[in-house]
Amino acid sequence: MNLVAPASASPEASALVHTTVVGSYPRVGDTHAEQKLRRAIAQFDKGEIADTDLRAVEREVVRDVLREQAEAGVELVTDGQVTWYDSQSHVARRFEGIEIGGLIRYFDTNTYYRQPIVRGPIAWKAPVLADEWRYAQAHVSVGVKAVVPGPVTIASLALNKHYATKRALALALAEALASEVRTLAEAGARHIQVDEPILTRRPEDLRLVEETWTHLAEAKGRAELTLFVAFGDIAEVYRRVVRLPADRIGLDLVQGAKTWAQIEADGADKPLVLGLVDARNTRPEDPADVAARLQGLRRELDLEECWLSPSNGLEFLPRAKAREKLAIVVEAARLAGVA
Amino acid sequence: MAALGTTSVGSLPKPDYLQKARTKAAKGEISAELLHELERKATREWIGFQETVGIDIPVDGEQYRGDMATYFAENLEGTEISGLVRSYGNRYYKKPIVNGELQRPKPITVEWFRYAQSLTEKPVKGMITGPYTMMDWSFDEHYGSREELAMAFAKVLHAEARDLEAAGARIIQIDEPALSARADELPLVLRAVRAVTEGLRAKTVLHTCYGNYDEIFGYFHRLPVDQLDLEMSNSGLDLLDRFRKEPIAKEIAFGVIDVHDHVVETEQLVRQRIEQALSIFEPHKLYIDPDCGLKTRTVEEAEAKLRVMVNATRAVKAARCLT
Repeated sequence: MNLVAPASASPEASALVHTTVVGSYPRVGDTHAEQKLRRAIAQFDKGEIADTDLRAVEREVVRDVLREQAEAGVELVTDGQVTWYDSQSHVARRFEGIEIGGLIRYFDTNTYYRQPIVRGPIAWKAPVLADEWRYAQAHVSVGVKAVVPGPVTIASLALNKHYATKRALALALAEALASEVRTLAEAGARHIQVDEPILTRRPEDLRLVEETWTHLAEAKGRAELTLFVAFGDIAEVYRRVVRLPADRIGLDLVQGAKTWAQIEADGADKPLVLGLVDARNTRPEDPADVAARLQGLRRELDLEECWLSPSNGLEFLPRAKAREKLAIVVEAARLAGVA
Repeated sequence: MAALGTTSVGSLPKPDYLQKARTKAAKGEISAELLHELERKATREWIGFQETVGIDIPVDGEQYRGDMATYFAENLEGTEISGLVRSYGNRYYKKPIVNGELQRPKPITVEWFRYAQSLTEKPVKGMITGPYTMMDWSFDEHYGSREELAMAFAKVLHAEARDLEAAGARIIQIDEPALSARADELPLVLRAVRAVTEGLRAKTVLHTCYGNYDEIFGYFHRLPVDQLDLEMSNSGLDLLDRFRKEPIAKEIAFGVIDVHDHVVETEQLVRQRIEQALSIFEPHKLYIDPDCGLKTRTVEEAEAKLRVMVNATRAVKAARCLT
């Protein structure tokens, strides 16, 4: 086993907030060595290497990604979703009743997801994420967060050819995803994040998120369950979102800058993940500015229980820029503690 | 124009020798001149192929481009090229960074257009990556607003369109795959595209793909172009119902070939797709093409797909006595 320790041996004693990431991480960089996965997939597609060879390269890249995050000093990392084709189909394709269709733009990004097509009753067959989480956690000394796509977002982005309503589909997905949450918790994952970016586009779907959350929360065991909402603001429904029976709420506060005023106005009775560092633009923030913004929420939040993070998964950036953003997150958290 | 004109969306795969030459050129192992010569050779071969199979409106195949956004950014001042960013699957592109005021020091695609047009009597399309897509697919470290950046791209791309027209382009296509990225920005898309097409005499085409068409359908008729070029096969022809209920006056180029599938469509399947299109659109306003650029396929797959497309179109025309 090859454990990678964080750069600063232990979390900075003086850090006011903890640091984490949101999920995805660039799986390819600009050096020859950083492009091994791209080459391996191309070779696999041509039939030049076997499935097991490709899996081995994927795992090597997972270890690289874990190491980069830990070396930057991030306290709670992810496996970078290195093996995911996209945020929706990776899990959905493994459920009974779903087949995978054509490419569709993912929110307002220039990335695409394969659309899940719901053809029949959805059923969970076997763990999708637990082994991936176990592997990642075995190869880094800091905590690894598991990330699960949210049932309401999948229900909204899928093509529903079976259920009478989106609600029925979302509830069926919630049941299947609850099995994912359960097996992750049983595998030992202490932090599980559920992504429901659809709330930024359809705040009216909060009712469905509330309803499906019950299923997920029942399955979480001893894990802490976070709801993360990226790709925009949830200002309109913020008060209800922070009352959800989630252990933690994560917010994109760059594209969703409008939510900021709601945090200032209403605070939160639970810890937040504050996505303050722009994961979608290369322009570097001044860590001192980010720290000052954090300090501004001292009265509204228990900052020592909160996490600072990028605003979204880092895969929208080139790898070198993603590393810079991680450094900004860690430095801003340190400065906030020093101030 | 005759009924059911055939065309391509833009990119065609690079032959092996060109792929290898690009890799070598990137490492400095061969000269820029040699690479350029091989790009011309590949362009000649693709124009020749399109002539042979009988495509009505050929394209130059973009043998000289890496990525559609990066290529334009590389040829503008005020930009730098960042590292690789994933688009989908195993596809990556070097996403541009705008770090200063955009300027076009000289025409970008005009020499390639001239060269391709010199090889055929048929009208070669001039191809421009649209201002909204250029904005959406770049990191902005200078302008600070999406609107300002899109309009700055529109200004330099309008100059490029003018130069293409002056060089003899009778058809100019603007690629806007990002069109449907943000529904609330559709007014900006219209403004930016209009700033490119304003005053052009050439026929203008707007190509888009892989978006949420349903949400943006109401804007289609307002786009300031003569023809819409749409991916239809990947999305299972779902859009046809909307067109049936809400007819559109513009010409339509209708994608009948899935560019992301290795499997070559059967002629029968493509005929069916064309027949479905004909149930809604008038034959003289309907063009037949693949969903999108074919560059992600192998040369053999792309050639086979284009052959099937042309044969199926001919079969439909013959069956319906269309000329």
